[in-house]
Amino acid sequence: MNDTFGNMINRIRGLPGYPALQTRVKHILCDTVLSVLGPAFEVVGRYVPEFRKEIEPWEEGRRFSIGVLPNGPAVTLEKTGGRIRYLGKGMRSPHISMAFKNYDSALLVLMSIMGSHQAFAENRILVYGDLAKTMEINRVVNIVNAYLLPGFVLKTVLKRPPKMGIKNYISKGKVYAGLLPAVVRHMI
Amino acid sequence: MIPHYYQHFCPVKILSGHNAVSNIPFELDILGCKRAMIVTDKGVVGAGLINIVREAFSDSDREIGYIFDETPPDSSNRLVNKLAKLFEKQKCDCFVAVGGGSALDTAKGANIVISEGTDDILKLQGNEIIKADLFPMIAVPTTAGTGSEATKVAVIYNEEKNTKMAFVSDRLYPRVAVLDSRMTMTVPPRLTAATGMDALTHAVEAYTCLQKNPIDDIFARAAIELVRKYLVRATENGRDEEARLGMANASLFAGIAFSNSMVGMVHALAHACGGVCHVPHGLANAILLPHGLEYNIASVPQYIAELSGMLGGSIEYMEVRDQAMVTVSLVKNLLSRLNRISGIPMRLRDAGVSEDKLPAIARGAVNDGALAFNPAEVSYEEALEVLKQAF
Repeated sequence: MNDTFGNMINRIRGLPGYPALQTRVKHILCDTVLSVLGPAFEVVGRYVPEFRKEIEPWEEGRRFSIGVLPNGPAVTLEKTGGRIRYLGKGMRSPHISMAFKNYDSALLVLMSIMGSHQAFAENRILVYGDLAKTMEINRVVNIVNAYLLPGFVLKTVLKRPPKMGIKNYISKGKVYAGLLPAVVRHMI
Repeated sequence: MIPHYYQHFCPVKILSGHNAVSNIPFELDILGCKRAMIVTDKGVVGAGLINIVREAFSDSDREIGYIFDETPPDSSNRLVNKLAKLFEKQKCDCFVAVGGGSALDTAKGANIVISEGTDDILKLQGNEIIKADLFPMIAVPTTAGTGSEATKVAVIYNEEKNTKMAFVSDRLYPRVAVLDSRMTMTVPPRLTAATGMDALTHAVEAYTCLQKNPIDDIFARAAIELVRKYLVRATENGRDEEARLGMANASLFAGIAFSNSMVGMVHALAHACGGVCHVPHGLANAILLPHGLEYNIASVPQYIAELSGMLGGSIEYMEVRDQAMVTVSLVKNLLSRLNRISGIPMRLRDAGVSEDKLPAIARGAVNDGALAFNPAEVSYEEALEVLKQAF
């Protein structure tokens, strides 16, 4: 039974056009998650004090991108007016960019199967720009993850999931409520 | 435990022996190089070590294009840019870096600037972003600690921001590492102790941090065992050739290990100590290592416990955490013994750090790239607490 199933899968994988289709699906998945992640920075920044405290010392105009190599999807964000703003898709002249080496590495992190710290440890992410500032950005990404993802996932994604009190859960609720309108607003 | 993914790369040819420097011109011939830029510092020149290199060249048809001896204890972006211009002006075609970590990193930094055709190394910060082929480099360490002769890392001091920047690329590996006991013979006991502890820190962090892997574990274990066997001997008697060569190998093995496995919080704190208070890197690592290990016990007790046997502790039936605490004690004992022999400081306050600087050091440490590979999360408050314990 297993052999039959395995043979069938192998036959499908051998069909002409299958690799291209698979790449397209991976692209769509990465693009979708990044399209949610970008606006999530704005929403988390609105409701979460530790996020605002973390970006307070950043210089105005700091621009960073997260994307997939070689020509995969990417999003760019910038600190302006004391907040993080989502500038849209693509690498838009960032000062710092964090780029996954390939779709498979990107999917591991973007689908919350692996934390960014583990991805760094496994050489899955390339950094262009100031490494110290990358560490600051990574802390902010961790805060966004903490308010975006359910608790049981955080154990995988973060080295140490934050302790959440009632106030944090209220903020998390507000983030969930504000996320969809933010994503839609950026899509149109 | 086999990690579900790891990478290992080390393309460095290693020459180790009591007269290994004599082979440098032959190696240059193999590399197709004719005119070498020697990068070193005044201390190395003053100790007569450059004469050993000169003698090796005089026996061959390779030539020394220029001897740059202005490397300071902390290589800087300004200096690297200056050296790059000098390299081109002197029409050299390779680097021979003779010195401690700073000289080696200065040569690596200048090599990046020249090969990438930029005017400022700051434009090339990041990991694995160097695309150009670098000029061949031969590394001749004169201290046994940094391991820079076998790493893909160059640490350059940013003069504008008072921070140390790490440049990481597979292209930064020297082509040849030359370990010659004559080159470390004149290192004073205190520096021998500090650099030896630096090598130990590299090996220990490579063995305990997130990127650890079976190949680098072998190098880390070998390095730790060599440190256990030879560090005290080399500190007590600098003329002990075997101990000197043993420590040079320990440093190299640790360098290979951490170049792939990377380092963790001890290095993050030590880099920040260097950036804020100019504490020599090896010394900062020596002081902070037991404190960093103790902090990480909660996350990786098994790995830290395994170190105790390598450090000479007896393996008894113990709870893992108790065995890990034995490791911490053994490191403290080693530092204490080195303190008695050489006077190496055991606390940050004795190493030129004032208490009011601790918050700035902690702030620097949490932004250091090494922290990404530490097994345990470290917040600013926790970094400050560890620093206070080490103070």
